[in-house]
Amino acid sequence: MMQSQIPRAVALSPAVLALEGVSKAFGPVVAVKPLSLTIPRHQVVGLIGENGAGKSTLLKMLTGVHLVDQGKMMLNGREVRFRGPLDATAQGVGIVHQEQSLFTNLSVAENIVMGAGRSGSQAVKGGLYRWSTVRAEAAEVLARIGSRISPDTLVGDLSFAERQMVEIARTIHLACQTAAAQGGAPLVILDEPTSVLEQAETEVLEAEIARLRAIGSVIFVSHRLEEVLRICDRTVVMRDGEIVADRLTSEVTEADLYRLMIGKDRHARSREAVPLAQGAPVLRTRALGKTAAFRDIDIALYPRRITAIVGTFGAGREALIRTLFGIDDPDSGTIELDGTPVTDWTPRRAIAAGLAYLPAERGVESSVGGLSAARNLTTVPFGDMAGWLLSPARRKALAAAWFDKLDIRPRLPGQPLERFSGGNQQKVMLAKWLTLGPRVLLLDHPLRGLDPGAGANVNACIRAACAEGAAVLLLADTLEEALDLGHEIIVMRDGAISARFDMAEDDPTTLDLLEKMV
Amino acid sequence: MASMTGTGGTGTRRAVLTWRGGLAELAILLALIVIFSILNPASFPTLTNLHTILNNAAIPIVVGVGASAVVLTGRIDLSVEGVMGAAGMTFVLLSANSRETVDIGWLAWPAALALGAGLGALTGAIHALAKVPSFIVSLGMWYVGLGIAALLFGYEMIPFLSSEAIVAWPTQSPLGLPNSFLLALVVVALGWFLEANTRLGRSAYAIGNNETVARMTGIPVTRFVIILFAFAGACSALAGIMGSLALGAGAANVGVGMLFLTLAAIVIGGTPLGGGRGGALRTVMGVLILSTLYNGLILAGVDPQVQSGVSGVVLVVAVIAAGWSQRAKLRVAK
Repeated sequence: MMQSQIPRAVALSPAVLALEGVSKAFGPVVAVKPLSLTIPRHQVVGLIGENGAGKSTLLKMLTGVHLVDQGKMMLNGREVRFRGPLDATAQGVGIVHQEQSLFTNLSVAENIVMGAGRSGSQAVKGGLYRWSTVRAEAAEVLARIGSRISPDTLVGDLSFAERQMVEIARTIHLACQTAAAQGGAPLVILDEPTSVLEQAETEVLEAEIARLRAIGSVIFVSHRLEEVLRICDRTVVMRDGEIVADRLTSEVTEADLYRLMIGKDRHARSREAVPLAQGAPVLRTRALGKTAAFRDIDIALYPRRITAIVGTFGAGREALIRTLFGIDDPDSGTIELDGTPVTDWTPRRAIAAGLAYLPAERGVESSVGGLSAARNLTTVPFGDMAGWLLSPARRKALAAAWFDKLDIRPRLPGQPLERFSGGNQQKVMLAKWLTLGPRVLLLDHPLRGLDPGAGANVNACIRAACAEGAAVLLLADTLEEALDLGHEIIVMRDGAISARFDMAEDDPTTLDLLEKMV
Repeated sequence: MASMTGTGGTGTRRAVLTWRGGLAELAILLALIVIFSILNPASFPTLTNLHTILNNAAIPIVVGVGASAVVLTGRIDLSVEGVMGAAGMTFVLLSANSRETVDIGWLAWPAALALGAGLGALTGAIHALAKVPSFIVSLGMWYVGLGIAALLFGYEMIPFLSSEAIVAWPTQSPLGLPNSFLLALVVVALGWFLEANTRLGRSAYAIGNNETVARMTGIPVTRFVIILFAFAGACSALAGIMGSLALGAGAANVGVGMLFLTLAAIVIGGTPLGGGRGGALRTVMGVLILSTLYNGLILAGVDPQVQSGVSGVVLVVAVIAAGWSQRAKLRVAK
């Protein structure tokens, strides 16, 4: 039904990309269910979907970062199997990432030429640099995308948006070259390229996409649906690892796309009595701001209440929570603890004041690899573990108690943490902070990477901690998570608060939230 | 000329000296010269003393050029003293000497250099292929080198070099400056050219800046790292030969003290141990600063025992000064 909506005339020319039953799973979690997709020449395809819909995994398969589990991938009519990112590049698939991949210590010209690889550039022959050729080549590439950035500038001296333009220039250059060398058409993937661009730069980019359409095909990933509608010929919507819609852009509206992205529009699953904001807030911010991250943030966290913040990638939520915990310093505004502004805020002080922070990168910032769950559970040097010594017996008792309380399975506190499943690892991390009896729990995507069952388990622990008196701030991965847990929901867009919902009075749907996010 | 800035810029067009880009080091060197000239007007600012300083600087400069090429990628080569010993002994035993082993004439030079490059390549290969820290591999290779040198030295008498002419060559100055220093300058020019104008050198900067991106960009990181370690090994070997010439004899410990000196010079010159910035020319500045400091302290009558303490303090202060602007709460320094 989806395929039939594409005009037959276009389908006649050899498809730049054809996927047949391509899928990817990580352990028990299926990220992309078997899907098929054909992108003919001269088409700009928008790819949209919520966080966790499987977009990133699909892109990583297209660019050789992830191996394809099953299915067939055809590029310009030839079957390909990428073993690494270089394979993909060599076949004419170029990607501009959300995270930038430039060398900040080198000039714009060098970055462009290095990215072109050994065959792509005349400037590096026999291992020697011809600096005049390096410059000329880079200047030509930059001129093609209408950029006025000097090839001699150090990338580190450029603004974020300017770097993005350099990255786009480099990718386009490379994809066109390799594709031309092989007689096919290039496929250029733009992963949220506009999220950091100014209006004028976005126009330049649109002009370049139009030019790309003339020679190859583009996959354009964006959260800004009005851009997708304006730029793309066709829009593919992903949800839960599947393609749920594939429409010509001329036939859909923004509202249609919203609905397709979130599936069934729904309210909070259960409407329990929402605790009122009683007494004074434990932690509040006044006009808190940080350059290039967030601004004018006023939030108040009350005991026994869960405040959920939702927003897209780049909305500034992560920076905000790190600032609250004292990892980053704000540029303006104040953080108040029990009504008193804090000074010299560091994680150590924050913990001493009763804050706890569960980072999103469980493996990197939270757990200590190679140590047993019990030892991981007792690594915070405050509260019950204050002092220099913790006897093995005491640690055992403490760990056993928390294993029971949060129902961590299997009940083997002595087992190395990494042998536990993701959900149980996350519970150990949560228990680590709960041993302190925290007054404020800052949870940065606590359910990331967990399957639904494990997620529900962790959610129950969060609710229990809240009921015992903690004020909880939750960065939710999905809107459903925010709706089910939050007593107050704050929506952030581009670094500012765009809406607040008090769940005692409001009953927003996922669509209501999404509309304020994008 | 240009890359006095050494920021890894585009070689020839970045001729402007900035404070962070080399001017600070130059100012320190000039300040040291002025201070010591005032303290010792009779003995410090003389042509003879200049020759002494430059001659003393030659060996650490040669070691430093190789070592800083490795540091550019964010790695480290601690094996310099061992490689110097092994290559120095090889050179002496293959030249005309009092033990009368074998005399292969000038071929002793390439033979010793090849040994150094080989040891360096081995360090680099073990590090890059087995994915173990270069720190610990090169630490081991240091003692492997010393072991080779001790084995070659054996239990016989010290092998003295027989040719007077070759022993005297480094300190002669037919061109106005000591030959040893001129040789060092040739190595510096080679190192600078490598860093500024070759794919290998430019890739070293890229690897030091972001290794993941370097791999994604298609830079053969493993191969280049091994080559750079081989280059560093060859530089250490040349320094070992020069050290043996200065002693006039073979000795396993010909490189003693050189590791601290060159590492300190690299950091003081402005190449951070994390890599990505700096290079050979910066290291030359670092060596000159330290050589001038040592020389000036000796002439000022400071106890040699105190000197080592002073150089330690200078190193620590330089590291703090270089890293001051990048302090951040969660920045991990190990």
